[in-house]
Formats: sequence, C-alpha cells, structure tokens
Amino acid sequence: MAGKEQGFYQVFEVFSRKAPDAPMQHQFSLLAPNEEIALVMAQENFMRREPVADLWVVKRDYIRRMSEEEKAALKRLDNKDYRLTRGYGDLKKRWRKYEQNVLDEKEILSWKGEIRR
Amino acid sequence: MERRDSAMSEKPIHFHPDGQEALVELLFQLADDDFLLAYRGSEWLGLAPHIEEDIAFSSISQDTMGHAAMYYQLLEDLGCGSADELAHARPASARRNAVLLERVNGPGHYLREPRYDWAFTVVRHYFYTQAKRVRLESLTKSSYAPLAEVAAKIQVELHYHLLHWHTWFVQLTNAHLEARTRMTKAIQDVAADFAGVLTLGAKGADMVRWGLIDDEKVLTERTIAALAPAFAEVGLDWPMPFGMKHGNGRNGEHTPDLDEALATLSEVYRAVPHAIW
Amino acid sequence: MAAMMTFTRLSDEEKYERFMQRIEAGEKIEADDWMPDEYRVTLIKLIAMHAVSEIMGALPEKEWVPKAPSLRRKLGIMAKVQDEMGHGQLLLRVAEDLMAPLGKTREDIIEDLLNERLKFHNVFHMPAPTWADAGLIGWLVDGAAIMTQTNMLDASYGPYARALKRICAEEVFHAQHGESIILALAEGTKEQKEMLQEALNRWWEALLMFFGPPTADTTGTSKQDITIKYRIRTKTNEQLRQDFFTKYVPRIWALGLEIPDETMHFDKEKGQWIYRQPDWERFKEIIRNNGPKSQERLELRRTAYKQNAWVRAALSAVRTAG
Repeated sequence: MAGKEQGFYQVFEVFSRKAPDAPMQHQFSLLAPNEEIALVMAQENFMRREPVADLWVVKRDYIRRMSEEEKAALKRLDNKDYRLTRGYGDLKKRWRKYEQNVLDEKEILSWKGEIRR
Repeated sequence: MERRDSAMSEKPIHFHPDGQEALVELLFQLADDDFLLAYRGSEWLGLAPHIEEDIAFSSISQDTMGHAAMYYQLLEDLGCGSADELAHARPASARRNAVLLERVNGPGHYLREPRYDWAFTVVRHYFYTQAKRVRLESLTKSSYAPLAEVAAKIQVELHYHLLHWHTWFVQLTNAHLEARTRMTKAIQDVAADFAGVLTLGAKGADMVRWGLIDDEKVLTERTIAALAPAFAEVGLDWPMPFGMKHGNGRNGEHTPDLDEALATLSEVYRAVPHAIW
Repeated sequence: MAAMMTFTRLSDEEKYERFMQRIEAGEKIEADDWMPDEYRVTLIKLIAMHAVSEIMGALPEKEWVPKAPSLRRKLGIMAKVQDEMGHGQLLLRVAEDLMAPLGKTREDIIEDLLNERLKFHNVFHMPAPTWADAGLIGWLVDGAAIMTQTNMLDASYGPYARALKRICAEEVFHAQHGESIILALAEGTKEQKEMLQEALNRWWEALLMFFGPPTADTTGTSKQDITIKYRIRTKTNEQLRQDFFTKYVPRIWALGLEIPDETMHFDKEKGQWIYRQPDWERFKEIIRNNGPKSQERLELRRTAYKQNAWVRAALSAVRTAG
C-alpha cells in the first residue's frame, strides 16, 4: 500500500477570496509534495474561470476537524431572540409615540455614506 | 457605430514603410516562438507527472497560445494574412521561431509511446520564460504602439508562468541524485540551443534602428542576469556559452521536428480547403 | 461528551438504522462520518471509476488537441480536455478520502487502473478518428455525461455532491463547446457534413451503451439498485437513456442528421422512445477492456506514468514537514 511515491501525495486544503474585501472561502483539496508546489497548482485547479485576489494552502494535517459525534456540539436551541433584532420588534411601535424611527439595520448601515442634515 | 468607425480609422495599421519589414520579421519571431512552445505544451496534456500539474501546465500552454494569437492578430492587422492562416499554413522555411522551441518533448509520439522528458520541459520553459519576460519589458517601450500595448498585456500572465517554472526548476534540481543528474543534462541540452532564442536574426539591427526592441546583446545580458540567481540557488555552474546547435530558426533554419509539428497542427486545417471550422 | 459516549456504545445495527434515518432525512454524509461498509465500498467503486473515466476520457479528445483546425478551436479543446483532467482530480480526491481508512492512496487507484483491476467507462474505449468525433464527443457524450451527473447532484455523500456541482458547472461550457464544433460542421461543406454523419454512425451504439444495461438481468453487473437505495442517484439507467433521447434526438434530427436506427421514434401512447437495443454482449467485452481502443489507451497512460515516476520519487523525499 504505502508505496515509494507516498511522500509526493500530501493533502492540502485550498482557500481563496474573490476580491480583497471578500471572505476566504474553502475551495477544494489537492495533492502535492510540499506547500510551494501546492500553491502553484491551486488557482489553475479550482479557479480557472473566476477572479482570485488571494490564495491560501493549508496542509490538512494542521486542521483540527470535527467527528460526526462532535458535530452534536454545534446544535443549540432556538430561544436566543435576545441576540437578534427580532427580539426587539416592539421598538418600532414604541418610538412612534415620540415621533422617532427605530435604528434598524438598513438605517445604521446607511450611515457609511453622507448623512443628510 | 460612428464612434467605433472613427476609432478604427485611428488605429495605425502601417508602420513606417521602410521599417515595416523589420517589424513584420519581429512579429513572426514573437508569434512563432509562443505558438510552437504552446503546441509542444499541448502535446503534454494528459501525460504530465502529476494530475494537478497537468491542469496547471495546460493553463500555461493556453496562455502562451493566446499570446501567439495576439501577435498573429497584429500581423493580420498589417495585412500579412489571417491569423489562422499564419499559424497553420506557413511552411517550415517561413517560420521564425527559435529551434529550441520546436524540438520534440522527447522520443515517441503524443498518442504512442510518449517517452517525454519532464526535466527538458521544465528547463526549456524556465529559460524561455525568463527570456520572454526580458523581451516583453523591452517591447513595452516599442516604437510600434500596438506591439507595446500587447506586450504590456502579456506581461501580466508571465508572473505566474515564472513562479510555476521556477518552483519546478529549483525543486527538481535540488532533489536527489537521479533528478539532479537529469536536470543537469537538460540544462546542457537547453543551453546548447538557447542562443537561438536570444538572437533577433539577420534583421535584428534594423529592428533596433527602428526602435522596435532593444539590441540582442542587451537582452542577452538581462536574461543572464535574470537566470543567474536560480543557478546560485541550486548550486550549479553557469552553462555558458549558449549555442545554436540545431540551427538558427530566425533565419528559417529548422529541424525535422518542426516539419512533424506543422504536419500535425495543420492536419484538419488543410483537410477541407477554405472550410469554416 | 455524553452524545459521543452514547454513539460509540451503539451496536452496528443501531448505527446502521441511524445512518439510514440520516439518508432518508436528506442529510449529507461526510468523509469522517460512520457509514456502513456497503455504502463506503459502493461509493469507492463508483467514484474511483468515475475519476479514472474522466482521466481516460481525456485521451480520445486529446488526440485532437494539437490538430484542432484554428487558434480558437485549439484553445477551446485544450481548455475542455484540461477540464476533464480537472474533473478527474476532483473525483480522485473524493475517492482518496473514502479509501484513506483502508490505507489506500492515489497511487493505488492509478495502479489499479493500469493493472486493469479498476475499469473505466465503456464509452472511452471507442475510437475517435476524425475532428467530427471530437465535436461529437463534446456534444453527445458530454450530453450523456451531463444527464448522469446532474442525476447525482443531490447525492447523499456530501463530498461527491460538492465535486459534482463544480463538474456540472463546467459541463455547461463543454456542451456549448461541442455544439459550436457540430454547428460549424453541420453548416459547412459537403465533406464536413459527411464527416459529421459518419461520426454519429460510429458513436450511436456507444451512446446507448453509455447509460448501462436497462436491468441487472441484461449483463448481471448493474449497481443501480444499491445506488438508488442510498440516495446516491434517483433515476434508473433506462430513465436516463430516455431523458437523453428527449433532449438530444430532436436536436440531431433538426440538423438533418440521420440516426442509424430506423426504428427510433417516440411512442406517444407509451410515453417513451422506441429504439433498437445495442449489442450487450459487445458491451460486456468492452467493460473487460476488450474494446477497440482499450489497450492502446491504457498503454499510453502506463508509458506516461512510468516515464515520469522519477519526478514523483524525487519530490517524495524532500522537505516533507516544511
């Protein structure tokens, strides 16, 4: 089984971002003898038809992955309204009394632009 | 529509009449160099030492054939014939590529017993890509504006080609004894014909006089300066002097390898004359 | 963790039951999840065969890469064959991860292919003697491949489904690449039209065989029942073949091409295509690597693999841990 070419076939996970402000995304995995070769293979193997602004290769051995059983630890109850805006749905109505609007996501994110006086 | 027409008419489709011959000669060298090497690369498709590399290498061959197509298009714009005709229908004696780039990948055939030599392929591509980078840098200042524009575009893709071939060159040469022996032999083999890549041929002086490209002596010095650090990195002696063992392709001297390549690459093109494919 | 303790204490029957519940609930199974041996073995066989078929499938078209008749066609077919190798890469990675617990690697898969322990798809044993064959492969063989691959896009095995998603996105380019070559020939000179008709005649039986026998009775080798049970695919071989006819037969006829089967027609009452069965005895020979090009193509791959072994050996030794 473990043949003489064993060392050539190391697993690397490939990550890339499409644009400088985009998140790193997992793409796929490839086999390469070392990280330099992995890096020169990565873009042409998985992103031949899309822009790439940055690229990572990570040896799979260095990634701590979850087992099927451990994934049970990812589950939680849907009772955490208090973390979400939907837990504060009453505000719109309450501000009305003071003739003000609630500061919702749309309003707050609009502040990055020019604010009308 | 009108605006497009006026833009077309502004496009210079003629260089200075007295310099045109040197320009056309240079464009054929550039086009044929990239076309033949991309052709040799395309023969490797499916046969590379590693599947991931097969895919990466094919992208480089596609890029390189794309570069050839851009140069053939410049020739078409100068009234030399259609790009496809120039790529497919010219006889060996009319080809201006360096002999190094037409040489087979190794014994055998791409469909039967391909005993292709990966060491030769890596060294040939690495040396050629360094020379090409130097040449393109000079061409971005060419007096023929359409060529300067094309050169600037092609430069963009050379970074990856260089990174790729440099990685293979250094890693294989620094690997165990058998690989180093193969790489050393391939370096000698490539060096024996590399002067054919660096020369601008019989019309070189005219090309320089018309401001199309720098003198071949200058280009050669810069190419050597670009290659030297890699030799230091792998601890090998510099393989000088470069030769033209199999002839000077710039002057139409070629090997039977080119005849074989032209017969194959134009087989379908010639099968039904004047057909659209 | 309590959940972990509970899971490891389950009996194999209970694990199997839980696994089937996940399958039936439409959950995705991942490489490190518990799975019954039958599921793992079925996936390894299916995906390793799919992977090496992509790699062997590059060879009939590879013949036409250097010969393509224009700069644009040379670039197009290079990109297309490159994709086939790329699909092989994606699928190999999926198969390799499934085989890892068995101590097997890519080296084993490739050697199994070269030693003929692992077979490749029946369609890639056929000759492609003209440029029209290259076009026809892109149009109809890829069309058939799109039918079978889209059928598995929702496969229960997550890594396979994700690889197929990438593959099918590229197949759209392949389909159009093939159509472009075919339309040029169909609208071309008399010689070009003849070349196209001859290619269709040559490939028709292979296209029928592509989907495999209608039932296990025909050849005794059909795996379709197991793959449907585990929700790896949903349609039977015959359903896929009928779907292929529905999408492609009208297009073939529209171009004025003749299908080399005078019985071919759509029976409105039965709601299905009537066609002449291919020679399933010949099919059995082909999948035993006794097709017209089986040995030549395997030999090409063996030569390339051996010729370059020094490259893999050289880099196996250096700088493994960085």
